[in-house]
Amino acid sequence: MSLVQALFYVMSFIALASAVYVATTTNLVRSIFMFFITLFALAGLYVLALADFVAITQIVIYVGGILVLILFAFMLSGKETLNAIGRERKTFISIGNLPALLLAALFLIVLVNMIFKVDADNLEWIKKSVALKNDIQPDAAMTENIGVNLMTTYLLPFEAISIILMVALIGAAHLSRKGDRS
Amino acid sequence: MNFYITYFIIATGLFSFSALFALFGVYAERKVAAFIQDRLGPTETGKYGMLQTIADILKMLQKELIVPAAADKLLFMLAPAIIFIAVYLGFAALPWGPGLAPSKLNLGLYYIFAVLSIETLGILMAGWGSNNKYSILGAMRSAAQIISYEIPAGFAIISVVMIAQTLNLQDIASQQGILSPEGVKFAGFWDVSAIGGIFSWNIFRAPHLLIAFVIYFIASLAESNRAPFDIPEAESELVAGFHTEYTGLGFAFVFLAEYSMMFLVSMIAVVLFLGAWNTPLPNIGPVQLATWTTGAWWGILWIILKTLTLAGIQMWIRWTLPRLRVDKLMALSWKVLTPLAFLCMLISGIWRLWLM
Repeated sequence: MSLVQALFYVMSFIALASAVYVATTTNLVRSIFMFFITLFALAGLYVLALADFVAITQIVIYVGGILVLILFAFMLSGKETLNAIGRERKTFISIGNLPALLLAALFLIVLVNMIFKVDADNLEWIKKSVALKNDIQPDAAMTENIGVNLMTTYLLPFEAISIILMVALIGAAHLSRKGDRS
Repeated sequence: MNFYITYFIIATGLFSFSALFALFGVYAERKVAAFIQDRLGPTETGKYGMLQTIADILKMLQKELIVPAAADKLLFMLAPAIIFIAVYLGFAALPWGPGLAPSKLNLGLYYIFAVLSIETLGILMAGWGSNNKYSILGAMRSAAQIISYEIPAGFAIISVVMIAQTLNLQDIASQQGILSPEGVKFAGFWDVSAIGGIFSWNIFRAPHLLIAFVIYFIASLAESNRAPFDIPEAESELVAGFHTEYTGLGFAFVFLAEYSMMFLVSMIAVVLFLGAWNTPLPNIGPVQLATWTTGAWWGILWIILKTLTLAGIQMWIRWTLPRLRVDKLMALSWKVLTPLAFLCMLISGIWRLWLM
């Protein structure tokens, strides 16, 4: 087993184990810090898949942005509210859990089905891309590639997303204004 | 397998360097503070008190690790390690000289920006884990401040990247001297590719980068929680902020992280704006000062000198300026620095398209 393979299994194990902990623990704050480890392990898996830009973006956005914001919301809400979740009954199968179980089971079926049906070693579109020399080599400069693609092929979705984000930003700023109460 | 051993040696070397810098940084800080406040500072331990911080660290290592009874023990113990590792990870991508970088990352700058944001998480962890109102207040102030100041810092960095056209720190470094592959122009009109020296540094490549440098420097003070932005550990209101409950080794790690962070942000500023490992001496006719003083060892010397100068300025600022109030601090970030940084980015785009 090569070093890359060993790293893959180690990081997959960390990601899965921490994700299970996030889902099962009743200590909400710890589960958030554990989620940080999940995201970090995922970033490592992205690096192994040669998607280093995605890996670093994942850390910037999720760890540096979203997780910190979630923690902020937690710290503003106080310890008593957070402890309420720990006092819930801990039965695995109850009527309240049924929709979630159903959804999870259906999703599992879809995933398993997918894994058995797809022939990952000789996919049609990958072969076509390799034949057309439309693939990215491991030593290629990823940032330029992403930038050029965003500004040419995917310009319309890119602009649409930026407008949506702008609208959300202005909306948030408007909602948090004090405004006159009259 | 040989290169794995090299990796370990380099990693240990960087760790001992940051530890050594923290030791002498604390000593220098005390002496600078003493000089500015017209006192003597440490004088007793060793000649001129030089062994004072070594004595301090020996004392800290022997201290008992006290975990408060109400603390979340796991988070409390892990937090200092995470705070320090976040800063230490950043050292992996910094160039020290021509051809000398621990890791030649294509995305070096972006990587450093990413790992530095992990520090916020460690600080929040420390604040929450301590289960103490001062710690939580300090942690929340720190997180709010770091998130706010990441935006002007990020845009100041982007305005350099747009001029340099690369995120690779080693490439950005080599563009700012006589080794530049594409030639350098002072302020966009005077070709200084052969002259080099101080004229080819990024702050002089385009006039607005000087403003970007000031924005980045102010934001980096806030990101490393240094005065005048040290409200997270404001001792007059919060005891000591997020590290109130830490003793012994935990406290030592928090301090190690703070001083490593100082060095790291100064070094990023040096690499991006102040010519990285390039010499400040220009070639003047037959006196080839720049050519003589460029090389691997010279590079290490120059980059350390420049970074220590910036760290010295950080200390000078800390003991000169009073602490900012919370609302003033946020207003400075959002109403002054962020629009200015946006403007710098805009000018960078125009500059690159029409003037280079």
